[in-house]
Amino acid sequence: MPLVAARGLVKTFGSGRGARRVLDGAVLDVAPGEMVALLGRSGSGKSTLLNTIGGIDRPDAGTVEVAGHRLDRLSEGELTRFRATEVGFVFQFFHLIPELTGEENVLLPARLARPGGAPPGRARALLDRLGLDGAAERLPHTLSGGEQQRVAIARALVNEPRLVLADEPTGNLDPASGATVLQALRAVASGERAVLLATHDDDAAALADRIVSIEDGRLRS
Amino acid sequence: MREALARLRSRRGRTLLAAVGIAAAAAMIGTAVTLSYGLATGFDRAVEQADLPDVTARFDRRTRAEVDQRVGALANVEERSYRLEVEGVGLDSAGGSSSEGTISLVPPGRRGYAVVDGRDLSGRAGEVLIERGLAREWELAPGDAIDVGRLGRVRVAGVVVSPENVAFPLQPNPRVYLPDQLLPADFRDRGRSVNVVLIWARDRSRLDSLLVQARSQSFGLEDLSFTTRDGVRALVDQLAGIVIALLIAFSLVALATAGVMLGAAAHADVQRRLKSIGVMRAVGFSRARVARRHALEAAIVALPAGALGLATGALLAAGPTAGLLEILNELPAGSAVLVPLALCLAAIVVLVALTTAWPAWRAASLPPAQVLRGAGLAPAPRRSRAPGGPFGLGLRLALGRRARTAATAIVVASATAVVLLMLALASFLGRLQDDPGVVGKRYQLTASLPAERAGEAGQLPGVAAAAPRYVADAVDAFELGQPVRLVAFPGDHTTFEAPQLAEGRRLRDDGEAEVGQGLADTLGVRPGGTLAVALSSGEEVRFRVVGVVRTLEREGRVAYVRPSRLLAADPSIGPEIAVRLEDGADRGEVERSLAAIGARPRGVGGAGSNDQAFLGKLAAVLRVVAAVNGLICLYVLAQTLATMAAERRPTIAVLRSAGARRAAITLVLGGVAAVVVGVAVPLGVVVERFLLGPAVARLAADYASLPLGAGAGQVLAVTAGLVGLATAAAVWVALRVEREPISAGLREG
Repeated sequence: MPLVAARGLVKTFGSGRGARRVLDGAVLDVAPGEMVALLGRSGSGKSTLLNTIGGIDRPDAGTVEVAGHRLDRLSEGELTRFRATEVGFVFQFFHLIPELTGEENVLLPARLARPGGAPPGRARALLDRLGLDGAAERLPHTLSGGEQQRVAIARALVNEPRLVLADEPTGNLDPASGATVLQALRAVASGERAVLLATHDDDAAALADRIVSIEDGRLRS
Repeated sequence: MREALARLRSRRGRTLLAAVGIAAAAAMIGTAVTLSYGLATGFDRAVEQADLPDVTARFDRRTRAEVDQRVGALANVEERSYRLEVEGVGLDSAGGSSSEGTISLVPPGRRGYAVVDGRDLSGRAGEVLIERGLAREWELAPGDAIDVGRLGRVRVAGVVVSPENVAFPLQPNPRVYLPDQLLPADFRDRGRSVNVVLIWARDRSRLDSLLVQARSQSFGLEDLSFTTRDGVRALVDQLAGIVIALLIAFSLVALATAGVMLGAAAHADVQRRLKSIGVMRAVGFSRARVARRHALEAAIVALPAGALGLATGALLAAGPTAGLLEILNELPAGSAVLVPLALCLAAIVVLVALTTAWPAWRAASLPPAQVLRGAGLAPAPRRSRAPGGPFGLGLRLALGRRARTAATAIVVASATAVVLLMLALASFLGRLQDDPGVVGKRYQLTASLPAERAGEAGQLPGVAAAAPRYVADAVDAFELGQPVRLVAFPGDHTTFEAPQLAEGRRLRDDGEAEVGQGLADTLGVRPGGTLAVALSSGEEVRFRVVGVVRTLEREGRVAYVRPSRLLAADPSIGPEIAVRLEDGADRGEVERSLAAIGARPRGVGGAGSNDQAFLGKLAAVLRVVAAVNGLICLYVLAQTLATMAAERRPTIAVLRSAGARRAAITLVLGGVAAVVVGVAVPLGVVVERFLLGPAVARLAADYASLPLGAGAGQVLAVTAGLVGLATAAAVWVALRVEREPISAGLREG
C-alpha cells in the first residue's frame, strides 16, 4: 500500500483570463522507504503538488491520501494535526527562525505538536546524526547555508513523520553543500519513511529511487 | 507619478491595508484635534461673537440716571449698556418649568450675547430670547411659546449664547431676554431702574485703572460685584481647564500612537519589499531615488487616506464637542477647525512619507548583493534566555525589534498613564459629590442652634465635636466686585475644615486670616498682606493674611477667620452648628438626637448642589475618554501584532506548516504583547504618579488640592484591562493570520 496516493489532482490559480491550471489531473504514488524526485521547470507546479500532498494547500479536485489520511476529508484542525505528526517540510530558503538556536529550531515542531515537546536529547541526536554537533547552541545566522539546511532537515524529522517533503532543498546552496544535504535526505528515506523531493537539478534527481517529471500540470514517470 | 500609481495598483491589497491603517490613525488625530481645538478656543469664539463686555457690574436696583451719571464719569469707556435683571421669575413651557428664571431687560444697543438660532429682538411685543441651555433642555425653538411670569405667553424669537456663565441646567437659573421698552405697566419704574451695567472699554490694557475708578465712583451702591472678561475666563478655565488639559494629553497620546504605528507599518512594508529595493539598486537607482520613490508612493496613499480619516474623526468628535461647549455656553469651532485639520493632514502625509523613505534609504544603503541574498534591516538577533516554545518565541520576536517594541511600549504606557489619571480624577470627582472630606470638610452635619448651645450638641452620643460656624459673604474692600466668603470658627477651624495649606501658616488669633488660593491669586495677597473686606452691613473688617489654603469652595475665594471681629462689625451674622461625627457613628441616630434637642440637622454636601450635576457629567466625560484611551491601547497592540505578523509571515507560515494551531500562533503573538504590556504598565504607573498626576494637580492648584495618584485597585483594573486587550488583539490577529494561505507566507524567502 503506497504511503502517498494522489489521484486526479487539479489546482488552478487566478480566475478568468488570468487563470492558470498548475495541476491538471496529477496522479502520484510514493511507497514507504522510497525517495522520489519530482523534476520540472520553475513554475511547473512542483511546489504546488508538494503543498497539496503536505496538507498546506487543498486541491480544487482530486484526492490525496497520505499515511492512511484522506486529506480532502480532514477538517482544518485535523489537517493541522496531520501536518504536525505525519509530514516534515524542508524549504529552499531553509526558513529557520533566526531568534532560535539550532536546537530550539529543531525542537519547535515537537513543542507545537504536544506540550512538553520532544524527549530530551532528541534534537541533539538528530543534529549529531546530520553532522551538526556544533550547531545546537548557535543561532542560524552564524551557520553556513548547508548547515542551516541540515538543521531544517533535523527539524523536519523531529516528530518522526512518515513523509518528508523537500522543496528545492539545494536551490540556495553551493554544489558541495547541496551534495551533503542530498546525502542527508537520501539517508532519511528508509524503512517506513519516504522522501518526495522537488527539484530541477538532474544531479539531485540522480540520487532518487524514482524520477517523476511534471509538465503542463501532469506527471510522467 | 504615473509609475508610482501603477505600482500601487499592482499591489492593491497591501495598498488598501496601508490606507486603512493611515485612515485609522488619522481618525484618532481628527477626534483629538477637533475636541481639543474646540474646547481650547470655544470661550474666545463665544466672547467675540457675543461681544461680551469687558466689565459687568451688578448692584442693587438704582435709577438709570443715577448710575449713568457715575458711569459717564469714567474714563476709558467706549460704550455702556444698562439692564434690569429680575430673578425668581416663573418660566413655563411644554418642555419644562422653573420658578428660578431670570429676566434680562435689554435696551437697544450692544448686546453681550450671540444669537445662534432665530433672530434678535425686534422691539415688537410678545417676543423673547432664550438661552441655549434652556432651548435644549426644554426643547424650545424659535416660534415656540413660553410663559414668562406676569408677561404671560410670548414667542421665542431667537436662541442666544452668552459665555458669562455655564449653561442651564448646570446653573439653575434659566435666562430669558426681553426688550426693556415692553415691560408691563405694573413694573412701576419701567425703564428707569437698572441693576446691571455692561461696559466695553476703549483700551483693554488699562482695564485695571477702569476698575479702580469704578470702585471710587460706586460709593453708596450695595451688593456691588464686578465681573470682568478675564474673571469669566478664569472661571471657565477652572471648570474646563482640566478637561482641556486631559484632552490635549489624549491628543498627544493619539499623535504618538499614530506616528509609531505609521512608522512601524511603513518599516514593515519596506522590509517586505527589500528584494525589489535590491534590484533597483542593482540596476543603477541612486539611494535618494529609491527613497524618493517610496516616499512618493506613501504620500499618494497617505493623502486620501489621511483626509478620509481626519474627516471621520472630526465628524465623530463634533457631536460630543458641541455638547461640552453647550454646557460651557461656548460656541463650536465650525469651519475654523479646518485649519488645524489641514495642518494635521500635511503632517500625516509628511510623517508617512518620511517614515517610509527612511527605512527605504537604509535598505538602499546596504550592498545590493547583500539585500538580494536576503539581508534584512533588522540587526542579527542575539541569544536569549527566553523559553523556546511559542510564547518564548513571541518574547524573542519582540526583543528582536527593540526600538519598535520600546516605542510601542511608550505609547501604551502613555495611554495607560492617561487612563489611570482619568480614573483617579473621575473617582475624585465622584467622591467630591458625596464626601465632604475631599474638599477639606471634616464635619458631616450642620444643625440650626444658637452658638451657645454648640456644647450641648457636642455632648450627644456619636458626636466627636461641634462648634458654631459663621459664614459672611462680603466683597474685597480694595478691589470692589471681588466677592469673598468669610468662614469663621471659634478656636481651631481645622477640627472642622482643614483645606490643605499651600503657603504660610494656620491662623492663631482673631486678627489673622487664611485665604483660599483663588482669592490670593485674584487679589494678589500673600502671607504678610492685608485682607480688607466690606460686609453687607457696610462695615469694613481687616485681617492680616497668614496663610494660603487650597479649597474648591467658591473657586477658592474664601477666607478662614475667627468670628470675634466679624460679629463686632455685624452682630446679625448668625451661625449654624458644625457637627463632626465619631468614626463609625450612626449618622441617622445623631440626626435624631439633634432633632430631639430642637435642632434641624442637615447633611453636608461635598460640592455645591449646583456643581454636582456638572461634576457628574465631567466624571462621565473622563470615563468615556479613558475608555477611548483603552481602545487606543487595543489598536496599538493589534497594530503592533499585525505588523509583526506581516513582517514575519515566513516564520508564521513555517510554524503553521509544522502543525501550529491557532492557540500556538496566539501564544506567539501573546509573547510579543506580553513584552509591550510588561514594560508599559510599570512605566505608565510611574508616569501617572510622578508626572501626569502632579502636573494636572498643579493645573487645579489654584483652587483645589487633588490627590491624583491612582489607587492599587485602579492599577490592577487597568493592568487586567491591558492583559485582556492584549489577549483580544492576539486572538484577532491570529484569526486574521489563519485566513492567509500558508504557501503565500512560505514564498517570501
